[in-house]
Amino acid sequence: MVNEIAQGEYGTHRHSERIQRRSYLLLLTMLAVLLAAAILIAAAVGAVSIPLHSLAQSLLGREPLTADQRIILFTIRLPRVLAAVVVGAALSVSGLLFQGLFRNPLADPYIIGSSGGAVLGASVGVFLLPPISVAGFGATALLAFAGAICSIMLVYSLASVNGRTPVVALLLSGFAVSTMLSYSSYFLEVLDHDFGSGIRVLTSWLHGTIAQPTWPQLAIVTAMLLLGLAGSLPLARKLNTLALGEEYAAHLGIHVQQTRIAVIIVGSILTAAAVALGGLIGFLGLIVPHMARIFLGPDHVRLLPVTALGGALFLLSTDTIARTAIAPAEMPVGVLTAFIGGPFFLYLIRRAKQEVFL
Amino acid sequence: MSTLLAIDNLDFGYGERAIFSGLNTDISGDACIALVGPNGAGKTTLLRLAAGALTPNSGKVSLEGKSLHSLKRSEIARSIALVPQEIEMPFPFTVEQLIEQGRTPFLTMFGGLRAQDRAAIERAMTLTDTHSLRTRIFNELSGGERQRVKIALGLAQQPRLLLLDEPTQHLDIGRQLEMIGLIRALRREGIAIVASMHDLALIEGTFSSVWLLSPGEPMRQGPPSQMLRQDLIDRVFNCPPHHGPVLMKRMQEREERAL
Repeated sequence: MVNEIAQGEYGTHRHSERIQRRSYLLLLTMLAVLLAAAILIAAAVGAVSIPLHSLAQSLLGREPLTADQRIILFTIRLPRVLAAVVVGAALSVSGLLFQGLFRNPLADPYIIGSSGGAVLGASVGVFLLPPISVAGFGATALLAFAGAICSIMLVYSLASVNGRTPVVALLLSGFAVSTMLSYSSYFLEVLDHDFGSGIRVLTSWLHGTIAQPTWPQLAIVTAMLLLGLAGSLPLARKLNTLALGEEYAAHLGIHVQQTRIAVIIVGSILTAAAVALGGLIGFLGLIVPHMARIFLGPDHVRLLPVTALGGALFLLSTDTIARTAIAPAEMPVGVLTAFIGGPFFLYLIRRAKQEVFL
Repeated sequence: MSTLLAIDNLDFGYGERAIFSGLNTDISGDACIALVGPNGAGKTTLLRLAAGALTPNSGKVSLEGKSLHSLKRSEIARSIALVPQEIEMPFPFTVEQLIEQGRTPFLTMFGGLRAQDRAAIERAMTLTDTHSLRTRIFNELSGGERQRVKIALGLAQQPRLLLLDEPTQHLDIGRQLEMIGLIRALRREGIAIVASMHDLALIEGTFSSVWLLSPGEPMRQGPPSQMLRQDLIDRVFNCPPHHGPVLMKRMQEREERAL
């Protein structure tokens, strides 16, 4: 009797699980289609707009674009659009990873100071080597990675108490470390003897402006994103187990220390990729995983692809607004994400007060 | 029944403070042991040592003759499940997602849950009567529901030895009896159990033996009738004579019945 009931419930459950899986795939497809559409629209709008129908015509191979349109599209518009896509995905996924690592839904690469570390690392690179060359940009990205890793280890060791990171400790150490790091970047201005590009690049980083990358630069950062996403895949399930607490996860056979180091490395690769093109863009890694969690629950395996696509879509949209709203002038997208993310963050802190992890 | 877990000449302490010295005992495959003792006597520590979560300073703990030290954590977790007092969840995982974590020691790096994993999860839910909680958020459950879900998480590991840390803590009398019923059912399933217990009145009739821990003394072991004697309890718990916990428990129950 009991067994039959259980069987019946199990049957209905399997059914609802199938529906769930189908709606999950639908959500992924929807996000992918939306992202493709957003890329097309974002490529069309700007100081000089390229009509959507001529874009469509050229995509279908019917009527090629004019020479001017091609130059605008391939040297200015498209690299910028794709940069926003890559930075958005990288930042959001690193936010998701850090939230799992810190067992704290308020972690974000900007808040916990790993973006600040990456900026400092990257500025060292910019002032030592010209970032326009592939080697120079590669070195810059590598230094950004080193900076991100060092700062997150510092914050982690400052903020964690017996494997837990209380919100207050996390926010305060993250704030202190990231402020210190971002401001020490200004020190490097002294080293910039020809008062040239270095300062300009640094300023745009500290404001969170997405750069106009060259294609090789975009390729390097995209490779970093793909590496980071591939690295996140096997970690996602471990983060679910780690949510039970370090000791329990270790009891269940998770190598906690190894997993923690792997998450820090992968998250820092993603942060570095984002910072190398976009500098300090705040709150994105907080907003996107949080929205995804509202729809999907906290399972990191399901969250990962949705967070990547959603982050790309979100930053592309905000960046397109940032560069067209007050055209021909341009607003750093970091300003816009701060305006959206700041209040959202405050709302989350307010709610966190009632929960156990504060 | 043969010995499942053996503890040989075990020493353990935190820093200078020794908790166990020269501890010898073993757990047979059909044992149902109540771990009793005052706060700080080392109940949780002993459970963690038995699960391989702590390493003894000297001596060894062995699972069917193999030292826990030489086994991988995932290998141990396929035979021994430790259910902690509290699980602190930072995210709103559902009950089912939580119980699924019990299959972690059986999974490969990229593989998902297979049919046998699903079956183990369903069985764990049936035994603990948690099917109806499946889609609920773990953090929003009541104390009694949480205890059952935690045990389901342990059972999903398909353990032969289940270590329960204070399974009746913070439960009302009805839920305490429910928990005792569950422990009896698990015994019938052939799972060996060690449970730390504060409510001495719940031990007799369910547990086959008692391990009595007392700070600074060797551990006493024996059947409940011998271990839960008034004079012994008074001494171990350092109570004034005849005001021991057994008595207090009975008085309390009488009062509650009167209400």
